[in-house]
Amino acid sequence: MAIVDTIATIILNGLQQGAIFAMLGLGLTIILGTMKFLNLAHGALYLIGAYAGMIVIRETELTEGLLTDLGIQSIGLDYGFAAALILIPIIGFVVGVFMERFVAKPFYDRPETDQLLVTFGLALMVEEIAKGTIGGNTFQSTPAKRFFGFDVTGPIQLPVVGAFPQWRLYLILIALIVIGLTWLLIERTDFGLVVQAGTHDSEMVRLLGIKISRSYLLVFGLGAALAAFAGLIGASIQTISPQIGTERALVPAFLVIVVGGAGSVGGAIVGGMVLGVTIAAMTVIASQWAQIVLYAVAAIVLLTRPQGLFGSVEVEE
Amino acid sequence: MSGNGPRPNGGEILDPDASTIQRARALAQHNWSVILGAVIALLLFRWLMIDGLGMVADMVDVRIGGYEGLPSLILIYGIIVIGFNLLLGYVGLLSFGHAAFFGTAAYVAGIFSAEVSGSPLLMVVAGTVAAIVLAWPIGFLSIRRTGVYFAVLTLTFGQMLYFYALGPGAWLTNGDNGYSDIQTGDLLGSIRLDAPVPGLEFLLGHWQYVFVSIFMLLAIIVANRIVQSPYGLIFTALGENEHRVSFVGLNVFRYKLMAFIISAAFAGVGGSLFLIHESYIHPTTGLYWITSGDFVIMSVLGGTGSLVGPVFGALVFEYISNVISGVSLPVIGAIGSLWRLALGAAFVVIVWFLPQGIYGALKSLIGRVGRLIERQLNQTAGGDD
Repeated sequence: MAIVDTIATIILNGLQQGAIFAMLGLGLTIILGTMKFLNLAHGALYLIGAYAGMIVIRETELTEGLLTDLGIQSIGLDYGFAAALILIPIIGFVVGVFMERFVAKPFYDRPETDQLLVTFGLALMVEEIAKGTIGGNTFQSTPAKRFFGFDVTGPIQLPVVGAFPQWRLYLILIALIVIGLTWLLIERTDFGLVVQAGTHDSEMVRLLGIKISRSYLLVFGLGAALAAFAGLIGASIQTISPQIGTERALVPAFLVIVVGGAGSVGGAIVGGMVLGVTIAAMTVIASQWAQIVLYAVAAIVLLTRPQGLFGSVEVEE
Repeated sequence: MSGNGPRPNGGEILDPDASTIQRARALAQHNWSVILGAVIALLLFRWLMIDGLGMVADMVDVRIGGYEGLPSLILIYGIIVIGFNLLLGYVGLLSFGHAAFFGTAAYVAGIFSAEVSGSPLLMVVAGTVAAIVLAWPIGFLSIRRTGVYFAVLTLTFGQMLYFYALGPGAWLTNGDNGYSDIQTGDLLGSIRLDAPVPGLEFLLGHWQYVFVSIFMLLAIIVANRIVQSPYGLIFTALGENEHRVSFVGLNVFRYKLMAFIISAAFAGVGGSLFLIHESYIHPTTGLYWITSGDFVIMSVLGGTGSLVGPVFGALVFEYISNVISGVSLPVIGAIGSLWRLALGAAFVVIVWFLPQGIYGALKSLIGRVGRLIERQLNQTAGGDD
């Protein structure tokens, strides 16, 4: 039974990490697929989501940074997780809309390298602003105690796995619901149809009389909202520091779309889960090698199937 | 960076009655002029950075002067980005994994000094060879993809090495504690690198600066030779239009791989020198992908459109990060860690408005002034007739 227990735990941990990866990859892949825009500031959106989530959920003591210099000892609204669940995607969406209009749009017609470089600079700036204002130290995540009036502390007894933190189980479920809704939006609605058509041939969509620039704005906002939401989920489980944007979000997001296939919604979901389970399994088997194997998986997929596991065409060769 | 790419001069032929300025311009492009200019610049660079800026610092009473060691560090990064730019600016491949070559060379040079020989020259050779040996397979695999896929592939290989050095490879690299068992010996058996240069200490400081300068000079000569050669012309052609190069019948893959290995060799030289300079290496300074990102920032800041442009980027980057970060201004207070924010902002502005970088912008300004003078001269000459 021990083996079965371990495998079940790996799968649950993998789902948790995989759901975060999948949301990041989804956001990046719909932006890349629709606008052919490479966003290295995607991790910055995760960072914004994580910090905004921390501020909305609880009150945090500050020890360094600009705000302490100004005499502010603590920040936070202490509204709880339910409020963050609604507010963070909205914040992410608004940031995304501004990014599309003021950063991405001027670069649609410029070379890929320029897009990478300008968003890389933007990512640096966001990271430094976070470090400068709130401080470069690491904040602990605080699991919510109550959620919509229910007590969510303590472990829950699951079949096979045994005791599992109740709160993390709910986070996994919430993340999976968000991923499912995104999938429905892209695959089963008229809006999704326009977006998908835009991925194939944006000029044709424009000729059909559809205002694609508005779809662009919405897609960018949606992608950003997903990244911010991933940040919220991540911040509820893992520590928060200015480096997480690039370390835990940007690089994994790129690995996810490489594995899943650029522009493919299903690919991003599967890619995220594959990488999540890989890292969870490797953490159990040989934790020192976990990150190395994660990158190796991406490299092998990229070399043997450049279109990814699910992508049918390679975007931007 | 298409359209703003470097344009090597494949040997311009001047007609006999070319104007003085055209002659001067042709002379400036000559190989020997490049070498002479580099030697003069290197002779004065340390003095300007430390004493020159120090005088300015005394005048304005803000500590903006360089310190001993900073000029060498700038030159080390300069060597790396000259090579990096051969790949980014000329061939048009954006690598996010050059820290792999930089860090590997540093580790190999360090381990070499402890286990085999502490001769600085041999350490650089060992580190560079290691970088080349590593670049061959990584390049061989990564070159198969272009654009963002190439960037991600180089990134994944670099990160694999980083996590290896941090965790499973700790028996070799000393992991998160960093590697400090470095036994740098004397140069050519008799010259201590941290001893002052006799008679020229005011200008050159310690032998280490001379040692690094010689490699910088070599880097400029080699890179200039490559760029001016037909071989380098193919690199440029690859950056402009890869398909046409293959239509001509050239083996695109081979040239790209060669460019990748050459640029890795430069990073290897830089990495070995960095180790000699710092006497310490940690996976995060050596192999982490942010280091690769720093190379990208330096190249773009300085300007990818020319050979020495990136060196200016290295200068600005290292100067801001090492000197300006310690400056305390009357109104704003200590700059401290805000330097990276300023750097990020400067980076965005440059990508946006000055795709040619600082050096490119300076050059076009000088060019404009030059043309203005030329026109004036022509007018005066015309008036005399």
